Amino acid sequence: MILLCGIPSESPLALVGEALDRIGAPYRWFNQRHFQRTEMAFEIGDQGLNGWLEIDGEGIALESVRGIYSRLMDHTRLPELKDEADNSPLIQQCNALHDTLLRWAEISPARVVNRIAPMGSNSSKPYQAQLIREYGFETPASLITTDPQAVLRFREQHGKIIYKSISGVRSIVQTFDEKDLGRLASIRWCPTQFQAYVPGTDVRVHVVGQQVFATRIESEAVDYRYAKSQVGEAAELTATELSDEVAQRCIDLTRGLGLEFSGIDLRFTPDDRVFCFEVNPCPGYSYFELNSGQPISMAVANHLAWND
Amino acid sequence: MWLLLCDTHDGSAAWAGQRLKARGLAPMEIITADQLALSNFQEHKLEGRSGWTLRFRTEAGLQVNGEQLHGVLNRLYTVPIGHWRQAPEADQSYVQQELVAFFLSWLAALRCPVINRPTPQGLCGQWRMESEWASLARQAGLPVQPYRQTSRDRLDEAHGARRLVPRGAIVSTAIVIGGRVVGQALPQGVADASVRLSRLAGTALLGIDFVRDAQQAWSFAGASPTPDLRIGGEALITALLDTLTRHLSEAA
Repeated sequence: MILLCGIPSESPLALVGEALDRIGAPYRWFNQRHFQRTEMAFEIGDQGLNGWLEIDGEGIALESVRGIYSRLMDHTRLPELKDEADNSPLIQQCNALHDTLLRWAEISPARVVNRIAPMGSNSSKPYQAQLIREYGFETPASLITTDPQAVLRFREQHGKIIYKSISGVRSIVQTFDEKDLGRLASIRWCPTQFQAYVPGTDVRVHVVGQQVFATRIESEAVDYRYAKSQVGEAAELTATELSDEVAQRCIDLTRGLGLEFSGIDLRFTPDDRVFCFEVNPCPGYSYFELNSGQPISMAVANHLAWND
Repeated sequence: MWLLLCDTHDGSAAWAGQRLKARGLAPMEIITADQLALSNFQEHKLEGRSGWTLRFRTEAGLQVNGEQLHGVLNRLYTVPIGHWRQAPEADQSYVQQELVAFFLSWLAALRCPVINRPTPQGLCGQWRMESEWASLARQAGLPVQPYRQTSRDRLDEAHGARRLVPRGAIVSTAIVIGGRVVGQALPQGVADASVRLSRLAGTALLGIDFVRDAQQAWSFAGASPTPDLRIGGEALITALLDTLTRHLSEAA
């Protein structure tokens, strides 16, 4: 049995659901919006970990769940709770269900795509960059500082530089230009991350277990995800191939971070260097699949079903 | 230089700092989270193939260079943002996450011994849910009371109502440090399993709580990367000194 957790209409989940239908693998939806019709319990005891999940009156033994694809949204924002008073019985019910699911999934022997703890490296880009370098990828020259003079020296050394958040919040890459000089002093209040600009071609790599899907991205934008707002034209995506060596590094990096499924942002420079900017542990891959035709959702479905 | 990083009100860390100084660890500086939050972080930098560097100066003028540190006793669990109190809530939340992400990176990049090393789930070692600890403790071979949870539970988490400790039970704490057990004396089998738990958790300094039943049988009741260090007494200080200085004697 496979459990798909989240809102079924969300593209990445919906595509995996369709793929599971095609391969005939049994699965159930843990639909967050149906929390009032869902119950579960688990126990860690002398018999190990066991329990049950009941959805719309139909029970599942948790021991039978061999794959979990989790794309849970923040349940406190569910429309069903919009008009609820703080800590109302409905909110408590919803909280308790999600807490039970999260705690069980974190220790379940099932193949979980992905567990919460290993996803944490993405909460600090420079921390994750330290891990990325252990797998043979280059990461851009970087400076985090509260000192405006240090930024000016860094810019003098590297020419074009960019800035972006350190955490995963408000993570939009921007070029540091003349207009930013006027507000540089404000970095004294909060350390800010600057990086040497790395020219080259972006390739997004999705790793699912041992399978690798590389998508080449053509865009003039500094951050292709925001190409339309940055340069007025959406990025163009096409399937591409990686060398065996780079593909293996992507697989090793994904496994090394404790992930079953990842979205890795690479940039290939004109002088054949391979930079890795970050590893997304919860990739919204559907944008890439729908634009490049790569069967990523089928790979995820097969991985959840242990068919790989 | 050795550093002790801790919260302003961490009396346990202050005690450990005093004892480490008295036992000859010098120079040793205690820097609180509040002082760190107001420090001038001159650079946390990566160039070429070298590792990340760190230089910062505290408001009091203490200059810290990451490459010159011999060891760090790390008890940081959050980064205060009192100086952002006037900002909109959304900005405060952003700054909090930026600072934690930054501290995680520079602490992780230090090449000297750091007890405990930071993780994305905790600046001074990984925090885990009781269910995770119960599962890990079982793997380590510790006796653990059954852990049960259902979606019908309406527990007051803020008051620890899901702890592995029965209400009113007396808790004893042992501390694992560098593969040794100090504090509460434990039967050998329980002590060995406690060391295994510390290794499985990837937490070099781990406080482990136990309760005993009417037959005096030990059972796991929780774990924390920030135990009260005073429980460990001088044996803990000796173990800390060994762990923080071993690399220097090995190099010599």
